[in-house]
Amino acid sequence: MNTLTIAWIALPLIVGFVGYLFPRVMRYLSLGAAIASAGYAAFGFTQPPFTLELLDSFGISLQVDSLSCFFILTNALVTTAVILYCWQTSKTPFFYLQTIILHGSVNTVFICADFMSVYVALEVIGIAAFLLVAYPRSDRAIWVGLRYLFTSNIAMLFYLVGTILVYQSHHSFAFTGLRGAPPEAIALIFLGLLSKGGIFVSGLWLPLTHAESETPVSALLSGVVIKTGAFPLLRCALMVEEVAPIVTLFGIATALLGVCYALFEQDSKRVLASSSISQLGWIMVAPAAGGFYALAHGLAKAALFLTAGNLPSRNLKELEQKPINTKLWLVLVMGSLSMSGFPLFIGFSAKILTLKSLTFWPTLAMNIAAIGTAILYAKFIFLPHQPQDPKDPSPVKLGYWLATGLLIAGLFIGNGFYYEAYTLENIVKVLAIIGVGWLIHRVLIQHFAFKIPLILEEFDHIIGVMSLMLVLLFWMVLA
Amino acid sequence: MLEGCVFATVLCGFLGTIFKKNLLMKIVSMDVMSTGVIAYYVVVAARGGVFTPILTDGEITGNYADPVPQAVILTAIVIGFSIQALMLVGVMKLARNNPTLETHEIEQNNTP
Repeated sequence: MNTLTIAWIALPLIVGFVGYLFPRVMRYLSLGAAIASAGYAAFGFTQPPFTLELLDSFGISLQVDSLSCFFILTNALVTTAVILYCWQTSKTPFFYLQTIILHGSVNTVFICADFMSVYVALEVIGIAAFLLVAYPRSDRAIWVGLRYLFTSNIAMLFYLVGTILVYQSHHSFAFTGLRGAPPEAIALIFLGLLSKGGIFVSGLWLPLTHAESETPVSALLSGVVIKTGAFPLLRCALMVEEVAPIVTLFGIATALLGVCYALFEQDSKRVLASSSISQLGWIMVAPAAGGFYALAHGLAKAALFLTAGNLPSRNLKELEQKPINTKLWLVLVMGSLSMSGFPLFIGFSAKILTLKSLTFWPTLAMNIAAIGTAILYAKFIFLPHQPQDPKDPSPVKLGYWLATGLLIAGLFIGNGFYYEAYTLENIVKVLAIIGVGWLIHRVLIQHFAFKIPLILEEFDHIIGVMSLMLVLLFWMVLA
Repeated sequence: MLEGCVFATVLCGFLGTIFKKNLLMKIVSMDVMSTGVIAYYVVVAARGGVFTPILTDGEITGNYADPVPQAVILTAIVIGFSIQALMLVGVMKLARNNPTLETHEIEQNNTP
């Protein structure tokens, strides 16, 4: 298992650099590396959890268990789908190189158990994601990419200071060092991870970045990349009970904030991006169930982003006037139902598993968030549609069907991880939540056009909010 | 005292990233901030002493600097300057259509 793990971590990086020398086979190699990750995750589920000490006694270690395997599986499936989607496009080998490097560094985050390795992996992710966002080379793409890189780099500088404070108190970088670390260390590390992961108000850089990127890049970013900020938080919450309440609290706040933000959006990609913030809250609220929820979210969100990129317009008001292709609409509906937690889909099992492990007040808050999610996705479900015109000049590419086929199959098969969710009581409860959501959508939201001003998403404010968050976190840790 | 200076550097850099209007100056401020963070690692490493930790046959005095923070910060230095370089390339591209590089202007031109 040790050798296998190291070989698997190195594989995407080797594939990336070797494949770049042979541009013709780059696509095949990167697809192979992504599928290999899926194989590794499947194998990891059957193995007992194991830890691998890499160096000396400074806590530099890897840890693989079912939580990491869920995240790795998400990463593998989403990356595979994105590569399939891009297969027939004119993307250069450079694009596949960045995709596979990103894939490898995201995998690294999911098995690290110490702050220093996580730092290195997160920075590599930042660079690779920047290059993918800026791939079109237009001014707007470069600006959005720069904004992302800047935000993430400042966040990581705070994180570094926190890391050295943990080292100072334990002479080790391991996650367990949070226990007994000074409060400012916890506050700084959490600030870095919250900003990087797009959680709560630190995550307001996310809607613009994810909405303005190209379709496949948006799917990658929302599907897996933002989860790299949340994963170390989950790990810390599971290893060090003292910080678990903070993570849960942020989970609830994020779920509600993301939903409120998305309700007032009229742009399909921005709705999906804001909903990603809210779904991160679901992942964080119950750390033990977070892995399964991440899988459910990653599959559905990637399918939705790939579909949104193929619709004739991004404006939901325009889409309501102009019927869309029924086949695309079906994919949109399946993804949306899974996100709302409709039975038959993985989203249902994941929501039930998450809610099961919560106490009374968080359950109440999360149910409100679930109703909000149902309202959001009703926007997509109730879009008008008609069979495609055979004379339509722009047929949807085969790569799209392969990619979404894989993701939708995952939405059904994923139920197998937790089929105990299917009791009558749960099904009735979830249907009631979705029913209330759709009713509110029909009665209120449809006739309601109000836009949140973008002031909070301005570049200076995003950086400024970090200092406020630092104060808030410090106060929370002390309390 | 030394620690205070280091944190002042970090704070100056951070405030610079917020209050400087020019994108280039923001990136320079970020560099100042990362310099402060790197200096803090060196300060922490020197808590136990400032001798270079090299194994010799002679006397072991024991006031050695801790090599671990210095080793890990090397990685962070490399990552930091590569990100700087990448961002400056992006700024060069942007400067073609936004010669003043004022973030407010760039933001207005590039937000939907």
